[in-house]
Amino acid sequence: MKVFEASNGNALSFALFTDVTNSKELLDSMRAGTLEPEAAFLNASLVPDVFPVLVAAHKALLSKSRDSLSSRTVHSELVYCYSGSKHISESLKRVGISESSNYVLAARFNASPEEMEAIRKLVKGTEVELEGLEAKADKAQIQKHYKIPGSELGISSLSDAISCRVAARDAL
Amino acid sequence: MEIDGDVSNCSLILLKQGAEARVFESNFVGRRCIIKERFSKKYRHPSLDSKLTLKRLNAEARCMTKARRLGVQTPVLYAVDPLLHTLTFQFVEGTSVKDILLEFGQSGVVEECLGDISAQIGDAIGKLHDGGLIHGDLTTSNMLIQNGTNQLVLIDFGLSFTSTLPEDKAVDLYVLERALLSMHSSCGNVMDRILAAYRKSSKQWSSTMNKLAQVRQRGRKRTMVG
Repeated sequence: MKVFEASNGNALSFALFTDVTNSKELLDSMRAGTLEPEAAFLNASLVPDVFPVLVAAHKALLSKSRDSLSSRTVHSELVYCYSGSKHISESLKRVGISESSNYVLAARFNASPEEMEAIRKLVKGTEVELEGLEAKADKAQIQKHYKIPGSELGISSLSDAISCRVAARDAL
Repeated sequence: MEIDGDVSNCSLILLKQGAEARVFESNFVGRRCIIKERFSKKYRHPSLDSKLTLKRLNAEARCMTKARRLGVQTPVLYAVDPLLHTLTFQFVEGTSVKDILLEFGQSGVVEECLGDISAQIGDAIGKLHDGGLIHGDLTTSNMLIQNGTNQLVLIDFGLSFTSTLPEDKAVDLYVLERALLSMHSSCGNVMDRILAAYRKSSKQWSSTMNKLAQVRQRGRKRTMVG
């Protein structure tokens, strides 16, 4: 588990899991609104690095502070922002977890150690180090989802390309 | 317009103020960043003013991401705030081409360096133009050379627009030519090298070069139509 400083004094805690077996349960409780503690679950193969998630977190926090959330909670907003697309349900499906997901990144804003422990108990999988994100990322999937052309990869990392798209989504 | 409480606990150091925007240095989740704030012009009608500023803000964000897609190095965009009219992007550690050329002017030209920079400039503009993107403000102060990698980074897309007309591309190059002539004539003919690299990288260079000859003769913004 690692904690990063998001904008404006907020913190974002991450935990990465492989071999997750209960994605369906997690999805069901998210949809019912009974997920306790509330957290964002991302498809970790689309995350090459934490930075773009922090960019999305900044956006989500900003929307929350201005009462302009497009989705239900600040955590679902984080997932929506990370997709770089304006279509809410499609975003949640694509970059969030699905019933067959087995590689999941969990994130929670301003989480206490107890809450992170609770999340660890919720997810039935093996927790691994965040450093493994880059190696396990599905580069082809990322390129396809974010429509990153080869010319851009020549001058930029996947992480930077995703960050730009996340940041500029509403301007496009 | 002042920056409100959202960023009040981040350090904000004013770096430059131009006619359209103020540029601050600050911190974004641990990384050094630049915040560009477009201020509102009080002489405009408020509803028109906010629409215009927002339109320009979005255009700048869009053009920067388009330039990246075309393979041209620009700072990474970190955030766009439509309420405060600010853009937050990566702080590029490096010197502007303007400073480098001024240095050459004073203490002598390093041929290899100049050749490399001109080649990168021509190549970058060629890629932009082929992709239908006009920078709009090509001057040496809007080009940075990144420390370490010595890569060219283009900044300030505030006047950019999309166009495939050779006229617009020629004017873009002409602006650069005039800027180089006025500031850096002591470096020798940099424009020729840039155009040579442009010819190599752009597939539509011939129509643009023809137009450039025309624009040189008559000056810009004289399409003599209408």
